[in-house]
Amino acid sequence: MTKWYEVPESVDSSVIYSKVRLVRNWAEYPFPGKMTKEQSLELTARILGGAQDLNDKNHNKYLYSYLHQMSDLEKAVLIERKVLNLDVLKKKDAGGLILSEDERVSITINGEDHVRIQVLEKGLKLDECYKAADLMDDYIGKSIQYAFDEKYGYLTAFPTNMGTGLRASVIVHLPMLSRKKNFNGLVADMGRFGITVRGVYGEGSENYGSLYRVSNQKTLGQTEKDILDLVSKAATELALQEHRIRREALKHHAIMCADEAYKSYGVLKYARRLSKNDAMEYLSKMLSGISTGILEVKEPCSVHELILGVQPANLLSQADRPLSKEEVDVVRADYLRDHIPEIR
Amino acid sequence: MLCEQCKKREATVRYVEVVNGVTTEHNLCGVCASQLDIGSFSAVLEKEISLASLLSGLLGIQDTEKKDGRFADVVCPNCGTTYETFVESSRFGCRDCYSVFGPLFGDNIRHLQGSERHVGKRPDYVIREAVEPAEEPLMPKLSVEEQIRLLQARIKDAIRREDYEEAAMLRDEIRSLKEENES
Ligand SMILES: [Zn+2]
Ligand SMILES: [Zn+2]
Repeated sequence: MTKWYEVPESVDSSVIYSKVRLVRNWAEYPFPGKMTKEQSLELTARILGGAQDLNDKNHNKYLYSYLHQMSDLEKAVLIERKVLNLDVLKKKDAGGLILSEDERVSITINGEDHVRIQVLEKGLKLDECYKAADLMDDYIGKSIQYAFDEKYGYLTAFPTNMGTGLRASVIVHLPMLSRKKNFNGLVADMGRFGITVRGVYGEGSENYGSLYRVSNQKTLGQTEKDILDLVSKAATELALQEHRIRREALKHHAIMCADEAYKSYGVLKYARRLSKNDAMEYLSKMLSGISTGILEVKEPCSVHELILGVQPANLLSQADRPLSKEEVDVVRADYLRDHIPEIR
Repeated sequence: MLCEQCKKREATVRYVEVVNGVTTEHNLCGVCASQLDIGSFSAVLEKEISLASLLSGLLGIQDTEKKDGRFADVVCPNCGTTYETFVESSRFGCRDCYSVFGPLFGDNIRHLQGSERHVGKRPDYVIREAVEPAEEPLMPKLSVEEQIRLLQARIKDAIRREDYEEAAMLRDEIRSLKEENES
């Protein structure tokens, strides 16, 4: 089955993917962190065991696993692929994961909250993501009583999630816009409207690959629809700005743009050693090149899949033996040579 | 100690990296630590980057308030979270914490969330009997120790019922589990 991240980016769009996350807690138990070891295991086993007849429109199979039985490397791979949150690495208590075969839908059990429902989808698809998450929420909510309060809404471990428990994010590719002097001002302005913009792979100039996550700051006092609309609008606005600058750059610096795209493609196709940051930068430039039509790929391809592919845990998990840091850079270049799309 | 990466800010996070069995220690500031390449997947942040204290800041809880102990005696009767731990971790311990600590932070919650009242989705309180843990074929396996513990309980039960045949079968099962585990 095609994984969600293997779906090609649509040409002429700098929106990469959308993500919706809902958190819920089971009223019967204290929140994670305040449960005994036994309660953690019991809650995890009850939810994993109770949610056995999952189904969705894509006829996915669902995989069930105990997080505490996974190796750190297995977890790190799923963190890189955005299925799990970083906090599961530190967690010692029992936890669970229900994951659809295409990795689009996941339910993490006993992370920061008892239940974390997440749906990912290529492109600007917040509404679709929410619809799927909402169905999953209803399904689980039929079997367990959620901690809910008329005033505070869904009760969550952190006050930053209370109310809807909804975090809607759109990941956009902003290589040009983020180079503008007033980008930080723009980000601050977005904050005033309740929107957070953050680098996906680092802050400021160290956000290699120029992917940015646009998401809602607030979870209380707004309906789910308001939140989804707000984030969609903000992401669309940023993507439009990016395009305006790209068009301008193409018009005035056509040779420079073409050179950058082809050079990056060349490095990715022929290099024998690539650090993660370099790989991310060249992939970002290749993605821009494809998006603006400078690079014409023979078959539609997913650059985001390559971005996930060059991450260290993924490369380590594919190797048949432990690798040193230098060896990872070699394996990364090998991976890219094997996977880089053909151009006309 | 200065952060080894930016060499500008004070190092507040000690971070131990284990790559292929080799342990190296790093001392970083919060900013650099939050940008860590988690490629060194077994990275353990010994001292958590303080999201919690950041939240305390957002919630507008002042140090003076912590010290003057106005609410020092407030404790959630359900989960035992104290006022102090709530302020420190900015984290609720259970559903009841909301009614215990919520009123103390009304203004701060409004400041943080821009509102104080939920207007979104509500669960339809169709509360069925909670689902029993099912042993479906799809269920992931328990660890060997957990399986052995369950089998031992079943042996005790069989002996109590004087069903020695079953007890012997279960004992064989434990033995083969152990052998499998060792090989
Ligand atoms: Zn630093
Ligand atoms: Zn409590």
